[in-house]
Amino acid sequence: MVGSGDFKLLRDDGKRLDGRGPMDLREISMKVGVLKQAAGSAMVQMGKNKVIAGVYGPREVFPKFLTKPDRAIIQCRYVMAPFSGLEDHGRSGPNRRSQEISKVIKHVFENAVLVHQFPKTAINISMEVLQSDGGTRVASLNAAALAMVDAGLPVKDIITAVSVGKAGGQVIVDLSKEEDNHGQSDIPMAFSLRTGELLLYQMDGLLTKDEVDQAITMGHEAAKKVREFQEAALIEKYAGNQNSADNSMQ
Amino acid sequence: MEDSSSGNASVVLPGDIIAGQPMAIPGCYVSGGKTIASVLSLMRDGKVIPLKGLYLPTQDDYVVGIVVEERFSGYSVELHSPYLGSLSSRETRYQFKTGDLISAKIAEVNEVNEATLMDERPLGIGSLIEVDYVKVPRIIGRNGSMLAMIQQYTGTEMFVGKNGRIFVRGGDTLLAEKAILKIDSEAHIPGLTDRIKEFLEKESGKKF
Repeated sequence: MVGSGDFKLLRDDGKRLDGRGPMDLREISMKVGVLKQAAGSAMVQMGKNKVIAGVYGPREVFPKFLTKPDRAIIQCRYVMAPFSGLEDHGRSGPNRRSQEISKVIKHVFENAVLVHQFPKTAINISMEVLQSDGGTRVASLNAAALAMVDAGLPVKDIITAVSVGKAGGQVIVDLSKEEDNHGQSDIPMAFSLRTGELLLYQMDGLLTKDEVDQAITMGHEAAKKVREFQEAALIEKYAGNQNSADNSMQ
Repeated sequence: MEDSSSGNASVVLPGDIIAGQPMAIPGCYVSGGKTIASVLSLMRDGKVIPLKGLYLPTQDDYVVGIVVEERFSGYSVELHSPYLGSLSSRETRYQFKTGDLISAKIAEVNEVNEATLMDERPLGIGSLIEVDYVKVPRIIGRNGSMLAMIQQYTGTEMFVGKNGRIFVRGGDTLLAEKAILKIDSEAHIPGLTDRIKEFLEKESGKKF
């Protein structure tokens, strides 16, 4: 997903193709509690990315041999819908890429959910990308983190993800599809902002050591802004109707 | 943490620090010597009240269960929890069928949260309402006052299980269900008891 750098990713005025500066995020909107049958769910839009996540469980483990006697296991499914991109089918359906993303997101939640409270069960996370435009795993993670809280499952922190990278020679935040495909580096990362710890860190491309430090710092700052949207979505569902008790039945 | 506009309650999000020293509070965990929220909660008058939770079988709790499996050795009972309860056929004088609603007391819970039941009784025909188990104290009310009020206005008989299941029989079960679901969705908004009373008066046409 990293190009030769020939594709022009900076406009003549020095801004990115969509007019953003290096630290500017695309438009974000988040909503919690969108699937009635799921224990917890959320819909997240970041730029043109649109992802829906559902959390189910803790429930019986299938297949049974995966059961762990002292904790809940996390089973994770990330998949893109056939209509999510501009190409026919594109990268839709379960494939190697979706397996990889499912796995790395699974590891995030294995470290974030207090799994020892639910031995011999499974917690299922399902993320479906309805529309993609660069950064779907980040949007999926943010949605899954919200769905986890909506489900009432105990977590150490709300996980916040953001993509950082390099395009047009500068380190930037929240890569669009063009920047992801033709830029010089793409680094999706996920933070537990309470401690500043990284729970996901993947990298495509080449950066100098200084640029990596810069990327993590910028990612951390950008994640704080994304976190505000996550918190607002939760508060909207769980406390937003404090003054309007009559329309609390949704 | 966000301050709600009603003044005395604020939403607590997972990751928020509750106390600077280790404390055992439901819905919180301890890390680095601090007590931190792990589920969505409300902070009201210095107390942390979880808004969501999953029932884990606890010894001596009275619960409402559904029989899901009949075996030669006994029954498996679903408890509105990730974990099942079991009833040995040698220890019960009743014969249950899959789908039966029963009330029971949790006798013992092992290290992996599996429970054995005692004091089991079939509940017969009635309505079953399921809520998050953290709302049960609100549904019962101080000294059972909220529950008594609902029973009075609706003429129903109710059995509330600690696991978030409420069995309702007789009277206006539909109104009782509406009242309970209203409590479930508005438990965090102050003035609940008065609002429920108003709601019951309006819907039932009675006044006590």
